[in-house]
Amino acid sequence: MSLDRRSFIAGSAALAAPLVLPVQVFAQEKIVRFTLPQDFTRIYTFVTSEYNQGQRDYFTLVNDRGGVGGYKIVADITDHANDLPRAIEAYERGKREGAVLIDPLSTPVARALVPRALEDKINMITAYSGRSDAADGSAFPYVLPLSINYWTQAGLIIEQFKKTEKGSLKGKKIVFVHIDTPFGKEPLPILNVLAKKEGYELAAFPYTPPGNDQSAIWPQVRRARPDFVIFWGAGVGQTVALTEAIRNGLPMDRVSGSVWLSESDMDVVGREAAKGVMKVEPCVGGREPKVIKDILADVVGKGKGAGPENKVGTGYYNYGVQMATLMVEGVRKAAEKAPNGPVTGPWLNEGLRSITNFTADGLLPPTTITKDDHQGGGMGRIARWDGAKFVPITDWYSANQDVVWEEIRKNSEEFKKSGK
Amino acid sequence: MDWILLAELSTNGVFVGLMYALVSLGIVLIYKTSGTANLAQGAIAMTGGYVTWALATLVGVPIWLAIPAALVIMFGFGLLMERIALRRMIGQPVIMTIMLTLGVEIMLRGILPGVFGAAVKRLDIGMPQQPLFVGELLLNRATMIGGSISLLLILLSLFFFNSRFGVVMRAVADDQTASWSVGIRVERAIAVAWGLAAVSATAAGVLWGSTQGVDWSLSLLLIKALAIAILGGLDSIPGVLIAGVIVGVAESLATGVLDPLVGGGSRDVVAAVIILVTLLLKPHGLFGRHHIERV
Repeated sequence: MSLDRRSFIAGSAALAAPLVLPVQVFAQEKIVRFTLPQDFTRIYTFVTSEYNQGQRDYFTLVNDRGGVGGYKIVADITDHANDLPRAIEAYERGKREGAVLIDPLSTPVARALVPRALEDKINMITAYSGRSDAADGSAFPYVLPLSINYWTQAGLIIEQFKKTEKGSLKGKKIVFVHIDTPFGKEPLPILNVLAKKEGYELAAFPYTPPGNDQSAIWPQVRRARPDFVIFWGAGVGQTVALTEAIRNGLPMDRVSGSVWLSESDMDVVGREAAKGVMKVEPCVGGREPKVIKDILADVVGKGKGAGPENKVGTGYYNYGVQMATLMVEGVRKAAEKAPNGPVTGPWLNEGLRSITNFTADGLLPPTTITKDDHQGGGMGRIARWDGAKFVPITDWYSANQDVVWEEIRKNSEEFKKSGK
Repeated sequence: MDWILLAELSTNGVFVGLMYALVSLGIVLIYKTSGTANLAQGAIAMTGGYVTWALATLVGVPIWLAIPAALVIMFGFGLLMERIALRRMIGQPVIMTIMLTLGVEIMLRGILPGVFGAAVKRLDIGMPQQPLFVGELLLNRATMIGGSISLLLILLSLFFFNSRFGVVMRAVADDQTASWSVGIRVERAIAVAWGLAAVSATAAGVLWGSTQGVDWSLSLLLIKALAIAILGGLDSIPGVLIAGVIVGVAESLATGVLDPLVGGGSRDVVAAVIILVTLLLKPHGLFGRHHIERV
């Protein structure tokens, strides 16, 4: 049997068509490209996999339902390992490929990318990381925390302590145990200002990173006889801090962490032993929120989940979903304003900065992003570990925002003047 | 001055120092027999912690069985490491062998969290968490038990060096060529030293893993272990014991006394200062032997 040239080309084309066609169809779809270079392998490993899993599952949910505002979301995932050259390379690659949003989930990386993001007009999400003063949208138009910064979290915790003491912290002693890094020291200005305002005594105990041995710190904390303890770190520093607090007999119901405390941490410390400890919740945890139920049914249930099913609904997973819902809401708003794009950083920026009273069907507190406020209103709540899960003990609230915004403006003014 | 706090920090420092010393023991064992500084000891402790956790959690072996099983596996790991990597370096400059151990350290630190996931793992060996008060003084049960077990294991290794095989290892340490000439299997003695070093590292990995959780940061024990080995003398087991206590107490007191004055961070400086001062003033450490070379 002979095969002439025409038959060969026709046959080849027929064979190749199914492989090529979906790409062409996809290429014809309107897409919004996000780049998510995150640290999967070095420092932020305690959160990245769950956070990123939540983001990918939500994007799958949105895309499978036809996208948002006529656009599908394309998310490029890479590992920057908290390494600045790798992160910058990933950023530049994302920019070349048309990404209009980057979420690096790393304070040093976010800080390094601020000048580039501002110049290139690429929206950089800095949830629970980066600069706290990026809440000031007038100074950082393309840097968007979209969530409560560390100063607000400290303010929320102090307010909760005050409530516990029936409205007055006068004469009380609050101990702040923190990792000895810029991130660990970040709440100190707010805690100091509030100490003067509320009349409590503040004692700070720094520990050396990564915090794997704090055995000499906690006896000092115990002997300081604190009324309340705030511990501030991440990863192994958090679990060791909590373990040492328990070994020193500190009452857990007077100990609080920031947003960086998860179910996985409780597994390491011992679920029963850690009963009573508090944390700041920026969004609802667990599987009850509608959006998490939808993911379970339509993404995980159909075998399209991005990671282990048992991680769906953990605190950090839901933080990822929280951020993804805000990004997608930004796209929706942008498409509302300019349905035909063009899809650029400024196009998405308009959408992100017009998110109003958004709750993602009850997953997050009412969040409003404006051109001035990139924090979203500064609402969070306090949850307490009951041995099995974190149970909210307050409603959504914001607190001490006057003090927080004074600090934000002080720092953002400095940035406007010096670029630092 | 809060004397009770100082007493508490000192007591705690003794036990923590003994736990560090257990990591250091492996460095000394290997140096004593082969004259090589093993910079992979921290990562081997981390590996031992991961193996124990994997046996107990992933395989479902009861912890009382998982620990001895991990010790046996890691003994084999030490033997293999010597056979596959270290023995090939015979005849090469010592610095190359040391660089090889550093390479192993970096490789293990990358591979283990990559395979098992980088999140901190719980290793529950049944140590009680409740505080133990003696008057106003609090004794940290976890470090107290960990320190006591470490002390026991270090004393056992002292007895081992007085056994028949221990004498063989000492002979190898003294003069490898002379040992060969009288029929001692030098390679086997060095391989056993690597196996025992891996066992002591694993025991330390389990004890530290049970107090802080198992993750990559267990490999940071190397810095403390090096400080102890250098201060005590790289070839002295009693030196490890005493230097361990000195380093532990110094670190603990620095945190309590210096940190409030300098704003924190003095704990890790202690190990570095001890390494520098010892090498400058007493290079063979407190109990190390001076090597006299005949020319």
